[in-house]
Amino acid sequence: MASKKRRRSLLDLIDEYMRTIEEEIEERFEALHNLFFERPSWNARTRTIEPLCNVLVTPDEVVVTADLPYAKEDTVKVKLLGDDVLEISAEMKRKICLEDFGITHHEGEFSEFHCRVNIPVPVSAEAKRVSFKNGILEVRLPRKRGYEIKIE
Amino acid sequence: MSSTTNYIRIIERKPVSSGAVMLYGLPDVGLVGVIAASHMVSEFNLEEVAFVDTDMLPPMIVLHKGTPHTPIRIFGNNELLLAVSEIAIPADSIHRIIRSLVKWGKEKEARIMIPLGGIPAPNRQEITEPKVFAVASSPQLVEWLEGKAEWKGRRVDEPFNILQEGYMVGPYALVLQYCMQENIPAVAFLSQAFYNYPDPQAAAMALKALSKLMGIQIDVSQLLEKGEEIRLKARDIMKRTTKELAKMRKTQEYDIPLYV
Repeated sequence: MASKKRRRSLLDLIDEYMRTIEEEIEERFEALHNLFFERPSWNARTRTIEPLCNVLVTPDEVVVTADLPYAKEDTVKVKLLGDDVLEISAEMKRKICLEDFGITHHEGEFSEFHCRVNIPVPVSAEAKRVSFKNGILEVRLPRKRGYEIKIE
Repeated sequence: MSSTTNYIRIIERKPVSSGAVMLYGLPDVGLVGVIAASHMVSEFNLEEVAFVDTDMLPPMIVLHKGTPHTPIRIFGNNELLLAVSEIAIPADSIHRIIRSLVKWGKEKEARIMIPLGGIPAPNRQEITEPKVFAVASSPQLVEWLEGKAEWKGRRVDEPFNILQEGYMVGPYALVLQYCMQENIPAVAFLSQAFYNYPDPQAAAMALKALSKLMGIQIDVSQLLEKGEEIRLKARDIMKRTTKELAKMRKTQEYDIPLYV
């Protein structure tokens, strides 16, 4: 009984140790990621705001959405750059200043949304379907079909 | 963040009334709770009565009108207390933070705790009027919300949709767990919402459910009018919240539970 108990606690120790290492690695990765990829969600030089985007991959298609409040519907543009990057842009109904949000220690005036989204799997761009409702853009890109494997 | 040195305390700035209704507006899907909470603060002129002081959050303060505030605060008046966070609560400290908020509410003899939040709806774009689901901390409360029984001499006018089966992940899951453990009545209102876009309409629906339950008037017209402005302002906290929710494995809410 005693040996069983000891063995279990040894496993617990290893488990705990592994978990600490895992957490440490995770934390460092996050810090590195933040160091290289975190940036403001706005760019005063290009006068653009980066919208929130989302990519969903289903067995048949890739659905890219973007939240574009204040966007003028007739200015929403969706462009496929190469095979795997989707560029989304839209003009805003009115100019937004950082001062509108009470921010006075940075300057910035924005008139456009702009972002680039990576498409994780091959898609056929010709058949894309685009909709814009309640300020949310939805782009549906059918996934490329390969060839069928016959089951004998 | 090591677990041995962590501390958390709630510092009161004003006298806190006991026996109040305690609401929670914490960052979750669609930021429903946070948007609803900030509307409640302005609609009812709630004042900051307490704040959370802890080393389990990143070293940050929030400036409002030139003065510092901690990111997790409690607002209130004689009838209401409202815990609200302006920071995506880190997944690794969420248990202790929620536990201490619930404990504090218990000390203040909150008569009921009501977290407001969202439930991710994959087809949210097609939903014109988000539905609100209620989750209660005890079978008696479930019966009350279903309109089948009285609770403390009261009956609901119209039954609520009850979230019957499924997983809940995140801050509200913990509020409900600790309330159930501590025997504090709790009802969470969860409105169908976008997972990772701020959803003011969902927040308005959650507030309507709250107003129906409590029998108080909450005017949500301002909230709906300012929808676009809120969506633009809330982008950064939404983005950070989505990251923390991923760490909490939020997508398990789509899973079908196996009852064992």
